[in-house]
Amino acid sequence: MIQFDQVTKRYPGGIDALKNLSFGIETGEMVFLAGHSGAGKSTLLKLISGLERATTGNVMVSGHNLSKLRRSQLPFVRQHIGVVFQDHKILFDRNVFDNVMLPLDIIGFDRREAARRVRAALDKVGLLGKEKVMPIRLSGGEQQRLCIARAVVHRPAVLIADEPSANLDRAYALDIMELFKSFHQVGVTVLISAHDETLMEDYGRRILRLKEGQFTA
Amino acid sequence: MKHYLFLHWQSARIALVKILRQPVGSLLSLAMLSVAMALPLSLYLTVMSVQDWVGKLTATPQITLFMEQSAEEADIAAVGSALKHHPRVKGYTFVSKKQALTDLEKRNGLNGLTEGLDANPLPDAFVVTPTSLEPKQLELLQKELSGLPMVEEAQFDASWAKRLYGMVDLGKHLTLFLALALGVALVLITHNTIRMQILARRDEIEVSKLIGATDSFIRRPFLYHALWQGLLAGLVAWGLTSWLVAVANPAIAEFAQLYNEQVELRGLAPLELALVLAGAVLLAMLGARLAADHHLRRVSAS
Repeated sequence: MIQFDQVTKRYPGGIDALKNLSFGIETGEMVFLAGHSGAGKSTLLKLISGLERATTGNVMVSGHNLSKLRRSQLPFVRQHIGVVFQDHKILFDRNVFDNVMLPLDIIGFDRREAARRVRAALDKVGLLGKEKVMPIRLSGGEQQRLCIARAVVHRPAVLIADEPSANLDRAYALDIMELFKSFHQVGVTVLISAHDETLMEDYGRRILRLKEGQFTA
Repeated sequence: MKHYLFLHWQSARIALVKILRQPVGSLLSLAMLSVAMALPLSLYLTVMSVQDWVGKLTATPQITLFMEQSAEEADIAAVGSALKHHPRVKGYTFVSKKQALTDLEKRNGLNGLTEGLDANPLPDAFVVTPTSLEPKQLELLQKELSGLPMVEEAQFDASWAKRLYGMVDLGKHLTLFLALALGVALVLITHNTIRMQILARRDEIEVSKLIGATDSFIRRPFLYHALWQGLLAGLVAWGLTSWLVAVANPAIAEFAQLYNEQVELRGLAPLELALVLAGAVLLAMLGARLAADHHLRRVSAS
């Protein structure tokens, strides 16, 4: 599903965020990405979702070589990936329901079918009762769930989460992890990054450890 | 395809609703746009109306020969026969001083005008219709006729109309210039209103791009906003000029009546209205497109 082939990402100024990385993630796999902040986790996730481009090497996502795609085609790749952003990227000018509706609007769903899907996604994350609430009135954990609902509402084949458990207490973080596990169980390829490895170890999944842009054992 | 059309229809509907929901802000920019359009439109209509009228005048140029006050009947007969046999004169009518006076009294309702006068101050006159309509020929004929005995003056009725023609031409150039300048203004005004909107919705645009919105998806609502704004501004500008025509026409008609002329400002023809609306919409969308592209370039650069 995801394949990195000798990928290097160099930012302007000569800093290599990723150095010659090669790895693969199978379809339906659930993988953790560990490492301190600044290790390159976010850069790696951004390469997968096409938000950044590799300086050298190839990034393959569901059969597309993102390094070779034209810039104008990247949006369509993004439409097949669900992303839970580190800083949530929730829109505070609209209610919970409309926030989750956004990806379906972008893809161009039929309004009625879209509304059904939005409610299903909200139900899944436990926010069904709050669809009319403005995000500013949600707790930190609820905002995280809202972000997850928006990431899965269009039923992507790949789900990427950048530090989804940051700033949450452990019980809440475990809840969120369970949620990701449930998506993995219905066949979604899931990649989660975190700097706190203790959460991951309980799950017995593959862990990719990044340090200064390279994998460590 | 049907789905694609539905999406566009949806964007268009949402954009219109947004305009109607912010009546104050929309009204301000609408007023700005429509006034900018109403100016050249009014000038255009004025110039075209004057042109129509001048065209009618110059279609049948006439030369009026005024006889000297001391002219005798024999002199008048001599001029009459000269005109009759002149190859470049198609026809003529004789207006005696008496007839001229009664005409004048009748026309202006000034009965008893002569009562205070010792004698009729009006001269005898011939109104000559030439064969050729060519300006040079007319001028030659005018000179020739003014040389006839006892003719005081040969006045070429169309000469001032020709001067007016020149002014109409000037007016046309002025209209074109004004239209161009305000067309640019229209682009700039929509560019600005759309830019403000984009800035207000910066977060939404950023998030939309992150989760896979194409550039055309992001541009679409702004382009539709501009479309409605251009269309509404065009309609309001049309309303303004129609109102101007309606208000001005009675006054103009009254004024023209004094000169026994019929002058009328005309409104926009359906085809002209369609062109104006299409032009307004296209220019507005151009402004929106420029603003959106500018912002999208900045977003993708960062």
